[in-house]
Amino acid sequence: MKLEKGELSSTQLMFLVAGFIQGSLLTLSFSKEVVKHDIWIAAIASFLLNLPLAFVYLTLALKFPGQNLIQINDNIFGPYLGKLVSLQYICLFFMIIAANLWFVGDFIITFFMPETPILVVMIMFTFICAWAVRAGIEVFARMSFLLVLMTSLTALITFALLLKDTKFSYFLPIFEVPIYDFLHGTHILMAIPFNEVFVFTMVIPYVNKLKQVKSSVLYGLIIGGITFLIVVIRNTAVLGPISNIVTSPSMETVRLIDIGKIISRLEAIVAIAFLVTMFLKVAVFYYATVLGIAQLLKLRSYVPLVIPIGILGIIIALSYESSIQFIYTATNTYPIFSLPFYVVLPVLSLLIAKLRKLPKQKERKAQ
Amino acid sequence: MISFIINKLRYLKLLNANYVEEQRKQRAFQSKKSENSLQKLSQSLKQNLEAIKNQIGNNYDVIIREFCLADQIEVALIYLSGMTDHITINENIIKPLMLYSGLPHYNKPFEITQIKSSILSVGEVKQYRSFDEIIEGCLSGNSILLVNGCDEALSIVTADWKSRGIEEPKTESVVRGPRQGFNESLVANTTLIRRIIKSPDLKVEAMKLGKKTNTNVCIAYLHGVANPLLIEEIKRRINRIKTDSILESGYVEQFIEDAPFSIFSTIANSEKPDSTAAKILEGRAAILVDGTPFALTVPMVFIESFQSSEDYYSRPYFASLIRIIRFLAFFLSIIAPASYVALTTFHQELIPTPLLFSMASAQEGVPFPAVMEASMMGVIFEILREAGVRLPRPVGQAVSIVGALVIGESAVTAGLIGAPMVIVVALTAVASFVVPAQTDSGGIMRIIFVILAGFMGIYGIVIGLLGLFIHLASLRSFGTPYLSPIAPLSISDLKDSVIRVPLWSMLTRPRTIGWQDPERQEFRLKPSPPSEEIKEAE
Amino acid sequence: MKRQRIRSSIREYSRLVIICSILILGTTGCWNRRELPDLAIVVGVGLDKVEDEEVTDKLELTAQIVKTSEMKSGNKGGGNSEAYWNAKNTGNSIFATIRGFTHQASRKLYWPHNQVIIFGRDLAKKGIQEYLDFFVRDQETRLGVWILVADDKASEILEVRPSLEKTPAISLDHLLEAQVATSQTSAIKLNEFVNRLLSKTTAPIAAMVKISSQGSEKSLLVTGTAVFKADKLIGELNITETLGLLWIINEVKSGIIDVECPESNGKVSLEIIRAKSKVTPEIIENKVHFKVEIEEESNIGSQSCSDNLEHLDAIEKLEEAQIAAIESEVRAALSKAKRLNADVFGFGDILHQKLPSEWKEMESMWDEVFPTIEVEVSVDTNVRRSGSSRKAVGQKEE
Repeated sequence: MKLEKGELSSTQLMFLVAGFIQGSLLTLSFSKEVVKHDIWIAAIASFLLNLPLAFVYLTLALKFPGQNLIQINDNIFGPYLGKLVSLQYICLFFMIIAANLWFVGDFIITFFMPETPILVVMIMFTFICAWAVRAGIEVFARMSFLLVLMTSLTALITFALLLKDTKFSYFLPIFEVPIYDFLHGTHILMAIPFNEVFVFTMVIPYVNKLKQVKSSVLYGLIIGGITFLIVVIRNTAVLGPISNIVTSPSMETVRLIDIGKIISRLEAIVAIAFLVTMFLKVAVFYYATVLGIAQLLKLRSYVPLVIPIGILGIIIALSYESSIQFIYTATNTYPIFSLPFYVVLPVLSLLIAKLRKLPKQKERKAQ
Repeated sequence: MISFIINKLRYLKLLNANYVEEQRKQRAFQSKKSENSLQKLSQSLKQNLEAIKNQIGNNYDVIIREFCLADQIEVALIYLSGMTDHITINENIIKPLMLYSGLPHYNKPFEITQIKSSILSVGEVKQYRSFDEIIEGCLSGNSILLVNGCDEALSIVTADWKSRGIEEPKTESVVRGPRQGFNESLVANTTLIRRIIKSPDLKVEAMKLGKKTNTNVCIAYLHGVANPLLIEEIKRRINRIKTDSILESGYVEQFIEDAPFSIFSTIANSEKPDSTAAKILEGRAAILVDGTPFALTVPMVFIESFQSSEDYYSRPYFASLIRIIRFLAFFLSIIAPASYVALTTFHQELIPTPLLFSMASAQEGVPFPAVMEASMMGVIFEILREAGVRLPRPVGQAVSIVGALVIGESAVTAGLIGAPMVIVVALTAVASFVVPAQTDSGGIMRIIFVILAGFMGIYGIVIGLLGLFIHLASLRSFGTPYLSPIAPLSISDLKDSVIRVPLWSMLTRPRTIGWQDPERQEFRLKPSPPSEEIKEAE
Repeated sequence: MKRQRIRSSIREYSRLVIICSILILGTTGCWNRRELPDLAIVVGVGLDKVEDEEVTDKLELTAQIVKTSEMKSGNKGGGNSEAYWNAKNTGNSIFATIRGFTHQASRKLYWPHNQVIIFGRDLAKKGIQEYLDFFVRDQETRLGVWILVADDKASEILEVRPSLEKTPAISLDHLLEAQVATSQTSAIKLNEFVNRLLSKTTAPIAAMVKISSQGSEKSLLVTGTAVFKADKLIGELNITETLGLLWIINEVKSGIIDVECPESNGKVSLEIIRAKSKVTPEIIENKVHFKVEIEEESNIGSQSCSDNLEHLDAIEKLEEAQIAAIESEVRAALSKAKRLNADVFGFGDILHQKLPSEWKEMESMWDEVFPTIEVEVSVDTNVRRSGSSRKAVGQKEE
């Protein structure tokens, strides 16, 4: 029985990917500490380095049309090992949900409501994501267009309003950081968010025109990457060296907008754009987790799993003790931790699929 | 605790048992009724009249006229005075029957079809055998002709009653465009639509709903343009309705809608024939209910609430501007009180400094927190609005003056409410009327947003907006996604959403509704003065 | 049948739970709710050093809090009540001092609308890094506030009754924004100050504010620049030197240059319309050279002599006079900066940006290198327009 009856169009997929990538606009600060003012080079480099990996993911997904990641793993690695691999992926997606939930909560609490317990913020956010996931992937794919439009407009408008305060000399000298730091920074940017496009292998089977999937995902990545670049350039050009020491360069940059005393204090826009795209990101991961578990356990529908996973996610998110620990994890631990999942395993799967000539065997079996 | 649960379970068991009993009784009643309805007329006029008199004889307005056909056969005419056209009855039924002299003298049993085909000079005549249909017809304004010796009766349509004339619709007034509105008579309404769409493809199918009211309901659609599955689905849902009364199209709406628990209606209604006809032309279906001037159209998308027929009769620039203003007004009416509450309660850093000083000074002596102020003002405004609808016209002006000026002004002077709050609420109130189709849902959303804003400030508002968006994106109205053309993005349909492109470039019908016959007009219809070549040729 | 019963009873229970939780949410109130009347809106803050019996160095913080009810009451100072209130508190660390205000003020201080931060001279000499750290780190304070150094004590600055605005802090804010017209002081915001502080070589600068008393009336005067080394105040630049500084760092937006009339005695005032500067570093024979190219456009503002300035010779002479004036200002700034050994111009950063490899060697020794740098100044001026009149008012008809 098909678990997901919805269908996405390729435009919706494109905007979903774009919104997904834009959801990580505020996690730039992790990489900024390491790479300092060369972050725009790091952003471009990570985008370019991610393209071959995205190609690998897409080839893998399209080799098995109509099958999502769990089924692909079953195919490639066999029934038992495949289930083990799928379980690991599900755990990874789940941990990412928890981390993002915590990040959202921390952001809101730091900047808007310091005394509110983070639990309340996380509960409200999880509630919305759970609602969206229950409604099905079609629903938040439909929403993605408007949300991406909003975020892109925010980035452009804030950039335009800050043009008079930009000093492009802050970008010089180019490529000053030692190569190791630069690679580290690029690696962080690849891990969050570019490589996370892998989760779309759970979503791609439900797109109605499989031929356009590659171009949709590519365009989505480009839109997300361009927004990234605009935001990075804006932050560095306006703030300069301060952007390396503040927690959230985007917020501090937008706080400096002051035109005629009335067009000022626009940081709410940044917060709203961030919340809205982070919602897309968490919803996609949430959906992938829930769908994966439902598929592993051969359930008829994933709907009853949504709320328990949400509650578990909040509990795990509460295990982060402090923002300092979180930043350290995101900067140092997570990129290395995600390497096997986003780089090694997909490449390995593709190689095995190619070697075993997998889809052909299926066709023969079906006949 | 356990005994509580056990008591609850017992109560539910009792309810269940009652329900089963009820079902059994209903089924028995149904079968008895069907027996009755199969009861047919007998050949004897006297018996038929007896049976009919038993059912409806005691009424003040039932007229039973017995006379003779050609001095030989006894006939009886039963009709409701007040629902029938006396002139037709007198001139076209009783007179020809009385004056008929063409009865054959040979002894052939008299067929009632002769009357129907040769004597009655009335347009619509039906033949019935059962009492049920006869009585139903009589109550709908038909005259029933019973002939002695025939076991069939004729139901002659002579319906004519006093109804309101064609007036300007009170709820939808336009600056430019036809000012005719539907009225309570179904035939008049279908006529109005027919006068606009003079195409043989316009199909108007009728059915009756309501056990006691037997209301006529019509479904109007364009054959070949409307999706046949849609029409089937509508018919299926309407036939599912088994209720006592259908008093208004709202009853039908509430029985067939897609999402009964959502605050957004998925079925549009309108009082104007031209907008209904326009919707039919786009591939939708209209449902007209006798007794109400409000026609339903399905399927409905969210954008429709922002479209008015005037948009299409004026030129594109102004129409697009007004559309954008409508969107802004709607957004404002939902978000304004909530953002005021959020800004003044949680996020004072987001208010520009000079404004903050005025707002702070305005709120200095006010005893209530901003949330309570906003909720109170919202409730007071709803009270005023409701009173404004219900009160008799002579008192209207006085109440509005009292309400708006005195209460608002004095409240501010007395220090109960801050002046900015009054301004915000007044602006919200006015803005909420810009989009009439969403006033009720807007009111509910306003309250929810104010509560959310009072709880978590801007974060609450964003979460509320996201939730609203999710809900809207997951709604479907008879298969069409509620937020098309924005949510499942369909660029060709955006031509009529936030802006309105010129009429000559609207080549296709909305993709999600009218894809059966997508082309509306031809290419290259852009108007322009004749080209130079033609001028020179002249 | 049984399942239906249990399911409906669970449904009823869950409804009860949901209603109760909603009610609870309404009763506890929200953790961060502040009504507008609960705020003590700080518009200006002054930090001074005071001596105490036990500890020699204590911080005195003066917070200028707005009295919102007075702010709206029509005209300025209607009656005796002022629209602000200066609350003072002393303490050891800035955070403790700020928290200590709750002993005096009935409301907690609210920082997001703060316009200026004024440091007293003694405190600035001691070092202001810890205070700056608070203002950057705290999430209520914003980076767009002006940084000022008071001539003497910051609290006195905040006491001066403004003539046009309602509070001294707001009048300071408007003053600093208006400085653009005269370019006599470098109006710096917190983010620029901290950027300079973060750089290893650049010296932070801030505007200086004095109290000028004309008779019994006191008013605030913003002139000159305070020069810091790291976070300690080491010296000052007067008006001329500040102008020179602004020329070099490309911050001159408008201003007046007075030059002598070409033929007779008198002055011609030229109004600066546009100015641009470019600094290029070069290393020639192990010595650091900086080439400063300044381009400027001006209009004739007024002339006190009756020379005919309408022909090209006169314009050329005016331009040359301008070039001389600008060069002298720039030289004055350079020499003062070298004397103070403070790289206020950001030359080190420019070297860093343009010639990074050479920079690496010089970075740590910048203090020794800076006084020895050679600066070549080339100025190009243009007088564009003569205003609404072509000839001088006093020029007699020939």
